[in-house]
Amino acid sequence: MDKNIKRFIKLTINEELHELVINVNRTLLEVLREDLLLTGTKESCGQGACGSCTILLDGLPVRSCLLLAVEAEGRDITTIEGLSRGEKLHPVQDAFIEHHAIQCGFCSPGMIITTSALLKKNPKPTEDEIRRAISGNICRCTGYAKIVDAVKALADSGR
Amino acid sequence: MRMQPFIYLEPKSLKEALVMLDEQKEKLRVLSGGTETVALMKLHLIKPQYVMSLKKLSNLKGIQKNDNKIIIGSATTISEIIESPLLHSSFRAVIEAAREVAAPQIQNIGTIGGNILQDTRCLFYNQSELVRAGLEPCFKMKGRLCRAVKGAKRCFSVYQGDLAPALIAFKAKAKLEKKGGTRTILISDLFSGNGKQPISIEKDELLTKIIISLPEGRIGSSYQKLRMRGSIDYPLASVASVVKIDNIGRIVDVSVVVGAVGPSPKIVRETMSMKGKEPRSEDIDTIALAAYKVAEGVNNQPLSGLYRRKMIQVLTKRAINNSFKVIHGEQ
Repeated sequence: MDKNIKRFIKLTINEELHELVINVNRTLLEVLREDLLLTGTKESCGQGACGSCTILLDGLPVRSCLLLAVEAEGRDITTIEGLSRGEKLHPVQDAFIEHHAIQCGFCSPGMIITTSALLKKNPKPTEDEIRRAISGNICRCTGYAKIVDAVKALADSGR
Repeated sequence: MRMQPFIYLEPKSLKEALVMLDEQKEKLRVLSGGTETVALMKLHLIKPQYVMSLKKLSNLKGIQKNDNKIIIGSATTISEIIESPLLHSSFRAVIEAAREVAAPQIQNIGTIGGNILQDTRCLFYNQSELVRAGLEPCFKMKGRLCRAVKGAKRCFSVYQGDLAPALIAFKAKAKLEKKGGTRTILISDLFSGNGKQPISIEKDELLTKIIISLPEGRIGSSYQKLRMRGSIDYPLASVASVVKIDNIGRIVDVSVVVGAVGPSPKIVRETMSMKGKEPRSEDIDTIALAAYKVAEGVNNQPLSGLYRRKMIQVLTKRAINNSFKVIHGEQ
């Protein structure tokens, strides 16, 4: 095995260590969905424009479609699957349900993971800050109003 | 689309990285944040044999103050620039430009070095391999024609980096290192002005630092960007300006740089008329007209070339006026 083309890597995903042998030309998104069956993270444009593949890398939202899996080694990766605790949903997920912030649902994992990072850093964001934080996540159904409502409600309630 | 196979290199020191670059030269592609490189590799627009990651080179990361200079490591992320207290007070246009780069998720991983050294773009070039296969190769694809300008003798692709115009307006410099040599040049000299090969650094050189001198006196700056959406998009026209005035309000220096209207950022030279005077709107109009004249409006972006070029005039006025407002604490 040429270690420069195929590599043994260790990825910490949702606080769990995964050991994998992968081709180095694969993105983290491909590895998450195809090798680890963590299909909550979605692929849409594949070019970094839409935000549906957003994951957290050391707590910061990034596009997993533009990140080589080998580049994520040694970093803390959180996917949408890592937000809930078993049957107990993350407060952002609850808020999205309560405020009908989901229609087709394809952008929802990226939206939720992005807003969870925002609220962790800034528990009381203004509407402008919310809109800026999710400005890299495209939703074609909701018109964003319900999504902003959900995040605002969380900010106001301090959950 | 999937990326083609490549050999992944992971140097642990700058010295090791420079040796790798020296050995492989054009066969090697540097991977900093990867937000451009991976996107281009997925479209098969670039097919490097080697990809060299900068992730272990910690000395290329971070922002430091050294005497009257700010030194930014080339692998510093755009988000780190936005949040840097060292840059906030003096380099407003740089912060504004950084905030306008793509979207927050890209800012969290994309780097200043990658942003500056990004390739030019064109609607007829930045397409999937399938679309490109049905078209005769253009200059950018080593062909002999331009699909945007019929009969053109050169490539009209557009440089769409946000940071370079702002950094050039502040006369920032780039430190380039290679095995056995180092040179520091103006950021404006990183660009060839040729859309086919827009970046003019040597194949064995690595951009390691960006150096900006702290301005003295009363200074204001602004970055204005035209795009279709409030986020994600590359600039379709952009203007950075830096204005310096003396204690009695007379203009000492005005620097205006236009972006996304040509294969490189362009410095507007006709700013001398304002020097030594109080700010007057007719002088700002003159500079805006000069900016319009250096702008290249070609129909190879989501908005028409004519409109983008006209908007350069508008953005120039806004940028200069905003720079004055910053000086007077109105912004």
